Amino acid sequence: MVKKYKENRISPGRVFLYLFIIAFCIIIISPLVIVLSSSFREKDNMMSPLLLFQQFSLDSYKIAFTKMNYPAALLNSLMTTGGSLAIIILIAPMAAYPMARMKTRLGRGLYYFFIAGLIIPSQMVIVPVAQMIGRLNVPNTRFTPMLMFITCSLPFSTFLFTGFMKGVPQEIEEAAHMDGAGLCRRLFSIVYPLLKPAIVSTVITQGLWIWNDYFYPMIFISKSNQYSLPVAMIQFLGDKENPAQWNILFAACVLCALPLILGFSILQKQFISGIAAGALKG
Amino acid sequence: MRKGNKKKALSIYPNKMYIFVIPALILFSVFWILPLLQLFYYSFTNFNGINYQYNFVGLKNYIKIVNDGTLVNAVKNTLFYAILIVSGSNILGLTVALVLNSKMKGKTLFRTAAYLPALFSAIVVGFIWSYVYMPKSGMIASLMNLFGLNGDNFNILGNFRTALVGIAIVEIWKAFGSTMIIYLAGLQTLDESLLEAARVDGCSEWKSITKLKLPLISPTITINIILNVISGLKAFDYAFIMTNGGPGKSTNTLMFTVYRFAFTDQSMGKASALSVMAFLLIIIITVSMLIYLNKKEVEL
Repeated sequence: MVKKYKENRISPGRVFLYLFIIAFCIIIISPLVIVLSSSFREKDNMMSPLLLFQQFSLDSYKIAFTKMNYPAALLNSLMTTGGSLAIIILIAPMAAYPMARMKTRLGRGLYYFFIAGLIIPSQMVIVPVAQMIGRLNVPNTRFTPMLMFITCSLPFSTFLFTGFMKGVPQEIEEAAHMDGAGLCRRLFSIVYPLLKPAIVSTVITQGLWIWNDYFYPMIFISKSNQYSLPVAMIQFLGDKENPAQWNILFAACVLCALPLILGFSILQKQFISGIAAGALKG
Repeated sequence: MRKGNKKKALSIYPNKMYIFVIPALILFSVFWILPLLQLFYYSFTNFNGINYQYNFVGLKNYIKIVNDGTLVNAVKNTLFYAILIVSGSNILGLTVALVLNSKMKGKTLFRTAAYLPALFSAIVVGFIWSYVYMPKSGMIASLMNLFGLNGDNFNILGNFRTALVGIAIVEIWKAFGSTMIIYLAGLQTLDESLLEAARVDGCSEWKSITKLKLPLISPTITINIILNVISGLKAFDYAFIMTNGGPGKSTNTLMFTVYRFAFTDQSMGKASALSVMAFLLIIIITVSMLIYLNKKEVEL
């Protein structure tokens, strides 16, 4: 009772908290609001961008849409991100299975071996990696960056799956073992379905960086029809200095961010719990 | 002992289950660990990244990088940047999480607003903030003019003293949302009845934060600090997209310098030597932080 009373009372403290959080959120999203407002302007509308939502025209969007070859770029992003995630949620739990179950030195060693990969920055290894890909005769296609997306996701996802798998009771597996289920069967039809929170968390956290990554596609892809969305944005880099191009650039920014914002608004709950579970399970 | 006590365990989990590691292990070793080892080798050569006719030059690359000040400059910039990122996103993330955790109306809306920047690609964020920071007609300059301040003099990225802070602010803007979400999750695990008891005993909100909530979520603080340190030490994106390392060498972070050596200067030997030193630095910092923070967690 005391609690309810205290919290419903309008105290100066609470008013201050609300004012603080409202002001803070306005500061944080103000650049985004300006971007959105300007993207709806015609390309030669040079009015100060601070005058919000004065004009509604899809002119800039049309230009940005064609310039970044949006349908192709979107499809490339969807294919590479989706393909990488599908492979990650297959091979990461497989790798985690012995690491979670074997109490040997090898099991623990492998676990730390994978985690250590977290601290290696991509810029450091990129040249030897490119050589390796050349030496293995992997052709440069829109799918080449997937190799690196999967590899870079392994440290975090094996770590996460190992953590979750330790929480799956061994007794369930013992029962299945009695019934004659082999290792593969036990992993995929008994343990795997119990890992759903870890799978969601992996898809969200790794999907987010893979979708947004421009570095690997920039290095490995040379044909512009194979660009993913963030790389298609790089060609606007020259326009940055030219204010006359701002409205088109802003429209391109909105187009690039749109799929993730839509995804987030539909799957908000999974996003929030996935990010938190990813960090806290460790 | 292993044969006697764990016989049952061994029979359900035979050694052949290590086969499951193989696909991940091959990818990880070939495309992540082997390239790292190759860096050690290249750091002693004058390899240019393209032509395989190279010679061994001993420690020349290392000596050059140390003597011309590149190492000191890049390490200084990276550490400063990392400190800004770690303190910035943790202070903002924790403050906002504490506010939102106090049973607010419209919590979801505020949380979404604060998290929104985390969804954008670094390249888009770079573009947006190039406009925000633009001299004369950018967002901050225009706002300053509006309020009668001299906005025409505002040029945070053009000044070698402030450029690094400028790009750090951009990264904090993008990163603090995820930090906040993790803090919120940590705060939600707290035992309500314990906090209630403290309130009944007349414990002020400030005291309950510093004496109860923060010590209780210290594992969350640890994980957030470590995640931010790792990403801070990898600083590359905004130096690459927004400042190109400049003005002068003021935003040359370790990874940007490695990239510049390898791709602009075509000096893979120097890039490798710097990578090796950066790698050692990152290991030393992460490991000592892990040890220190774990100890601290136990004390709290």
